[in-house]
Amino acid sequence: MRTFNDEKKFLEKISSNCWHIKKGFVDNMKVDGYFYVNDNLEKLMFDELKQSCNSKGFGGFLPGMKQIANVAALPGIVSKSIGLPDVHSGYGFAIGNMAAFDMNDPKAVVSPGGVGFDINCGVRLLRTNLHIKDVLPLKEQLAQCMFDHIPVGVGSKGIIPMTAQNLEEALEMGMDWSLREGYAWAEDKEHCEEYGRMLQADPSKVSSRAKKRGLPQLGTLGAGNHYAEIQVVEEIYDEFAAKKMGIEFKDQVCVMIHSGSRGLGHQVATDALVAMEKAMKRDQIEVNDRQLACAHIQSPEGQEYLKGMASAANYAWVNRTSMTFLSRQAFAKMFHSTPDDLDMHVIYDVSHNIAKVEEHFVDGKQKTLLVHRKGSTRAFPPHHPLIPVDYQLTGQPVLIGGTMGTCSYVLTGTDQGMVETFGTTCHGAGRALSRAKSRRNLDYTDVLEALEQKGISIRVASPKLVMEEAPESYKNVTDVVDTCHAAGISKKCIKLRPIAVIKG
Amino acid sequence: MSDEDTVGRLLEEGEAPQIPEVKYEYLDHTADVHLHAVLDDFWGSDLKESFEQVATAMFNYMTTDYDRVEMKFVFEIEVSGDDILSLLYRFLDEFLFVFSTEPFFIPRVIKITEFDLETFKIKAQGFGESFDTAKHPQGTEVKAITYSNMQVHQDLDTHNIFVIIDI
Repeated sequence: MRTFNDEKKFLEKISSNCWHIKKGFVDNMKVDGYFYVNDNLEKLMFDELKQSCNSKGFGGFLPGMKQIANVAALPGIVSKSIGLPDVHSGYGFAIGNMAAFDMNDPKAVVSPGGVGFDINCGVRLLRTNLHIKDVLPLKEQLAQCMFDHIPVGVGSKGIIPMTAQNLEEALEMGMDWSLREGYAWAEDKEHCEEYGRMLQADPSKVSSRAKKRGLPQLGTLGAGNHYAEIQVVEEIYDEFAAKKMGIEFKDQVCVMIHSGSRGLGHQVATDALVAMEKAMKRDQIEVNDRQLACAHIQSPEGQEYLKGMASAANYAWVNRTSMTFLSRQAFAKMFHSTPDDLDMHVIYDVSHNIAKVEEHFVDGKQKTLLVHRKGSTRAFPPHHPLIPVDYQLTGQPVLIGGTMGTCSYVLTGTDQGMVETFGTTCHGAGRALSRAKSRRNLDYTDVLEALEQKGISIRVASPKLVMEEAPESYKNVTDVVDTCHAAGISKKCIKLRPIAVIKG
Repeated sequence: MSDEDTVGRLLEEGEAPQIPEVKYEYLDHTADVHLHAVLDDFWGSDLKESFEQVATAMFNYMTTDYDRVEMKFVFEIEVSGDDILSLLYRFLDEFLFVFSTEPFFIPRVIKITEFDLETFKIKAQGFGESFDTAKHPQGTEVKAITYSNMQVHQDLDTHNIFVIIDI
């Protein structure tokens, strides 16, 4: 084990917002690592490293920097392993980590650890034509109504009627299923990555275990950092882009939904991890961390995972769509109107745990890459063919969910991000404190009181755990977003603040 | 392992086991929950007990009042692995699975009845009931078990186990 000072010799600050992790920081690095931070975020990253050096390998966990470097050691990685400003220690990949693998390199791999257990966890933003003045008198009732409509927390079950046959179809069709069943509007699809359906999905590659976990949970929010929030526009940085998104004025009311593929996705990832462990022995793939289990992209295990992952991604879109439906119903009920008259359109829907086949330029040559984004968000620039017509001039909207009681942001993709980070930016605040430390240091009644003082209504399934999700437990989302903006990998467009939070 | 192999049956009067002492803790981990089972070096403690403790630690995170879980029926599971780490992984994953699907079983006590480190097989019983949000205050949802820095210290008297679970 190296000391903290020895470790630092492999790290170099190359600009005010970017650090370079040199080869040798961990074994077998095939490319270098880079991570984006500002001064505040930098300190948190180095604290993780220091803590890990002190634990001397007994217990403890791998710091984010080591994880970025372990990813740089995977076979077939192209160019670099990148940590975005919200990066922190996860399992396998760091959270806030992206890496691309060459589809035409037979040795290149796909790793479920580079997607995460919550496949296609993501954020969706709906707009309304309401002003905060319209909502304030009804705020508590509206929060309660949303909470009554959306099942939240551990052990909750979905209220959208589902049969095993429905589930098969949903896995295959994604939002096309929701549309057919009447839970979505046709234009919702236009504003989703992949139009809400990954075509390579094959439900027969999803185990019956995964389906059993998924069936009762469709249309449920989950727990942890997942939430549905009623938010208002606090600041508009880019009026042109905001207008394109239908954001016309300050204090306009929006709804943000953060959720993923629930137990179905978790089990797809678990199954793949177990299957790939065997394939790795057969194909003699060596990795630095067991959680980085992977398989050659073209191997049966690799292909099965990608098809299963796509099915889980479709599940996640159906899930967010179901909760969009429930939110629209809640608003319509409270305002004696229709979702249509309330202009409750989907602004955009991003995936921040996913692997996708994309075209990128590497050293001037066009390459087909399998881009893993774990806790990081695609951020394509203006004129990119894969973004909706409505956003061709602005760049892809990127939705950055804040933490309970703090701000959220809408960014847009940039050309610089396309070049530097394979069109990728941050995904949220990123944790700073461990859950255990939050429980020790914070009292849930204080956290609830602080929210009340900020005028935020809260409905939560497990109030005694809100300190785990308190703003103090996270990095400052504004630091994260400002770093992305300063580094040029995405651009600030809108700032939102919550007025009501619904969570597990 | 298919769920056809797992069975539940109602407990008879006086069949519920004693609730064991808590020998686990939650360590600091930035994103997820780091479980640590540690057994003081006293007579009878062994690795099997560490396995039982670490599974209980996982369930204790799912409700904020674990004592509300009553032992109404017993549920049996059987798993196998290729080495000690995959055995631990599948043991925990199997219990997570019975919690996440019908009958949404949450055990209050876990007893390992067969613990074979030659062929890496475990048979275990969970004593508990179906999770009911009306009865059990909701805790945090466990998404999955990870291999990230998973450690099983077989050689130590304290039989430490470290597992990071994804929240």
